[in-house]
Amino acid sequence: MGECVRGHCLKTMQNNSVISFQNVVKHFPVQTERTAKELIPSLIRGKSWAKYHTILSNVSFDINQGETVGIVGKNGAGKSTILKLIAGVTQPNEGKILVNGSVSPLIELGAGFHHELTGYENIFLNGAILGLNKEEIESKLDLILEFSDLQEFIHTPIKHYSTGMTMRLAFSVAIQTESPILLIDEVLAVGDVEFQKKCLKALDKIKKEAKRTIIFVSHSESDVKNFCDRALLINDGKILVDSTPEEVFKIYNDFSKD
Amino acid sequence: MNLLDPFTKYRYLLTQLVQREIKARYKQSVVGYAWVILNPIAQLLIYSFVFSIIFRFPTGDIPYSIFLFTALLPWTFLQNSVSASTQSLVNNSSLLKKIAFPREIIPYSVVFSKLIDFLFSLLVFIIFIIFSKVTIHSTFWLVIPLLFLQIILTIAVSLFLSAANLFYRDIQYLTNLLLMIWMYMTPVVYPASMVPIKYLWLYKLNPMVGIIEGYRSALFGNYFEVSIILWSIAVSIILFIISFFLFKKWESVFADIV
Repeated sequence: MGECVRGHCLKTMQNNSVISFQNVVKHFPVQTERTAKELIPSLIRGKSWAKYHTILSNVSFDINQGETVGIVGKNGAGKSTILKLIAGVTQPNEGKILVNGSVSPLIELGAGFHHELTGYENIFLNGAILGLNKEEIESKLDLILEFSDLQEFIHTPIKHYSTGMTMRLAFSVAIQTESPILLIDEVLAVGDVEFQKKCLKALDKIKKEAKRTIIFVSHSESDVKNFCDRALLINDGKILVDSTPEEVFKIYNDFSKD
Repeated sequence: MNLLDPFTKYRYLLTQLVQREIKARYKQSVVGYAWVILNPIAQLLIYSFVFSIIFRFPTGDIPYSIFLFTALLPWTFLQNSVSASTQSLVNNSSLLKKIAFPREIIPYSVVFSKLIDFLFSLLVFIIFIIFSKVTIHSTFWLVIPLLFLQIILTIAVSLFLSAANLFYRDIQYLTNLLLMIWMYMTPVVYPASMVPIKYLWLYKLNPMVGIIEGYRSALFGNYFEVSIILWSIAVSIILFIISFFLFKKWESVFADIV
């Protein structure tokens, strides 16, 4: 066993696996009103007042290095929770998660953007949040500017940007990280068609050039089919199907009709 | 769990977050960063007027405004840090939910940005001292270790309150009330010699009493009890250890409850 922190482990795994979920269970507290009305009775009864909702029940899978895996399922099925668990921002209640290598999230782009700061200032801020240092960001600045195509507005506070422009900037920064594991959550749903194509092309390049592992959450059947080698269908916190994207969507589409 | 990670591995992220705090605050304001200096001047004028004309406190040879400034500036640093960092984790919830990094970096960045404000406002103080021709004692350098001690105490309080505020938002409202009470329990606007002897032992339990009295005694060479500063050191370090451990213990659920 390597270094483990609360079920989140870094170690050299046998075979090729870079991400391994072993019987993972995750509950979330149901956010009821946190007021004295609920708090006081629960203190008297001496137990936790939080109710739990099970998001993932006994999920196990392995992802090998260099694989591109799509995660498919209805809203609330637990797709984003899987990404959060891989990123290490939340911990499993039961089971074990092994992640070998640093993780770069492209989850909800621009999480660290500050709307009062200029595009330029936000590039450095967001780069730092994604784990890059100053030299790395500076060396990639031209690539970022070119990809985002925002050179003209780069010294404008991003509060004056449109949503699409902000997302373009965010994606351009995020794509520059060199983490061996990339998490992508619905990010391609933003921006115009042209930029979406550009993003997919960039991701495709990453996929082909570097042996990076990509986890891709999307509702777009064509994106998953074009981009992924494998897909997981999640339903009610369980993995229903683990197969090729074609197979997964065949089942998912049948099942959505009911 | 590594105490020094925010200053080594995550140093660039910490500096970027400090810069964000400072830059974003005064964007779209005419005088911008000058507010950092204008605020203490205005405060000084108000307090000087109220407490040297309406209420009078005996402050010996030292003019009241200098006496006040010596305590008011470091107090403002503590107050601004604690009140802003209490809300810092809640305000950065999007980061907490997406990216894994040591969470204490967020309250640290608030405290360090307020420290920079404090150092700027210190310039006003130095100019003031030069004009008022007050003799500064040769022990003035002792303010440096005292400031260091105050930073430890500030971080201790900030870590605890920022995490507690994630669980119960009542904390942020309570904090401002407690800070006001704490200020009047500390010899900021009045000299400690005015506290009735009967209550002095109780009064001295407040770790800020030793620190504030320490600043004054370092600059003006008044009599100073070593035991109070030893108490402040002990309390600050113990509070820091407790807060840090609680913060680290709670950290794993931050993303689930925010």
